[in-house]
Amino acid sequence: MINEENQKRRSFLKNFGIIGALLIAVGLFFRDLWLYLYPPKRKKKFHKYLVAKLNSVPLGKAKEITLGNDPVFVVHLDQGYRVFSGICTHLGCHVRWEEEKQRFFCPCHKGVYDKTGKVISGPPPRPLDQFKVEEDKNLVYIYVETKTRGPWS
Amino acid sequence: MSVKAWLKERFPIDYDKFIEINENIFIKEPIPIHMKKWWYCMGATPLILFTLQVLTGIFLAFYFVPSPEMAYESVRHITQDVRFGFWVRGLHRWGANLMILSLFLHITRVYFTRSYQKPREINWILGVILFGLALTFSFTGYSLTYNQLSYWAVTVGTNLIKSVPIIGHSLLVFMRGGEEVTANTLTRFYMLHVWFLPLFLVFFLVLHIIVLRLHGVSEPEGFPKGKYFPFYPHHFYKIIIATLFLLAVMSALSIILPPGIGLPADPTTTPFHIKPEWYFYPTYRFLRMVPLKVGIYVTAAFLIAFTFWPFIEPLLSKKNSVRRNISYGVGALTLIITLALTIWESLT
Ligand code: FES
Repeated sequence: MINEENQKRRSFLKNFGIIGALLIAVGLFFRDLWLYLYPPKRKKKFHKYLVAKLNSVPLGKAKEITLGNDPVFVVHLDQGYRVFSGICTHLGCHVRWEEEKQRFFCPCHKGVYDKTGKVISGPPPRPLDQFKVEEDKNLVYIYVETKTRGPWS
Repeated sequence: MSVKAWLKERFPIDYDKFIEINENIFIKEPIPIHMKKWWYCMGATPLILFTLQVLTGIFLAFYFVPSPEMAYESVRHITQDVRFGFWVRGLHRWGANLMILSLFLHITRVYFTRSYQKPREINWILGVILFGLALTFSFTGYSLTYNQLSYWAVTVGTNLIKSVPIIGHSLLVFMRGGEEVTANTLTRFYMLHVWFLPLFLVFFLVLHIIVLRLHGVSEPEGFPKGKYFPFYPHHFYKIIIATLFLLAVMSALSIILPPGIGLPADPTTTPFHIKPEWYFYPTYRFLRMVPLKVGIYVTAAFLIAFTFWPFIEPLLSKKNSVRRNISYGVGALTLIITLALTIWESLT
């Protein structure tokens, strides 16, 4: 009687172990194949990029420059320099700076941002993207992501 | 409505019959008792390996770029950058090597148990065709890595075709897509490797298995005749175990002996030591020993005799014992020569 119980338990444990190990092996196998298909996220690297001399942009004015093909706005506010990406956060049109109204305007769907990049009206879901700014010896720099362009990235 | 009823409306099949057929064909397939020995059921190994090759091959195709500028670089990328890339590539490379090895073993087993005898001659020939396809697979696949050795292997290998009488030159131009080895050659080999050969192989494989099933597995001498066991569960689990074992071995090999990437192909300089993969050693060694023409004709003659051996053997004698001794002798001799040439080539 007791022996039979033992026997049963033993074979249950054995089957449990075998099937468990199999499932783990199969799971790992497909996990690894899955990872193979997804290129890993790389750590972003940044470099400094000179955008203006400290006094070249008067207070309350903005200067437009291009970075690659994208517009970038260097704005001189009371708090200092702010640098915004000119790409509308709605669907990617290029925004323009309207000095008299002290705002950014996107012509595509009438998105409006104030001079600090905050959305005032229109469809944009979030404020304009900002670059990290550093003022150093009379010069204004921003941190730009270093994009290595190879066939695989 | 139940799922079964829903399906039955869409696919009006007689399900009970379907299950019955399935049971008869797969679950209850009678397997002769000798197949309980591992040595006698190695024929499934190439099939398992082939399935794995298809899988890993598809995964490699996600990153591989068949162009002279990118082929080597993409293999490097897979091996060095992609997560588990070395593993997927290792499985594919080792799978190819083990495939050839397992085919050698399978052929040797079939030969020495003389399973090719009437009425199974055709299946032997189908097997030879499959073996040829596997070698072509390996050769084309090897060439895709586009390193020095594989580039020059293609150059030398396709040059051999020139010696085919009359149509040799046209064949060469056809294979290379021009007079020289160029981007055309690479895309041709790629196309062969991923489309043409798989389709052909599957076709002949299915035939091979159908013919096998029609006759049943041959029963070698020295085992009790007429004793069978059903495919499921014993043989089924055997295949699962074999699959897991092969995966483990290949994974281990990919880590211990990972396939390298070599030097990028340079069409202007032939490397000093140029060698094909090991399974071409016997042929390669032999071709270098004798004048080219002789070598090619002898090889061709051997291939023909090898292919049609099941039909040649009965012509040799009326007595089974004599035929058997001749077959064993010829087989042993072939085996020894093959091994000797392989060892010789690998030592030089
Ligand atoms: S893209 Fe700018 S508001 Fe729609």
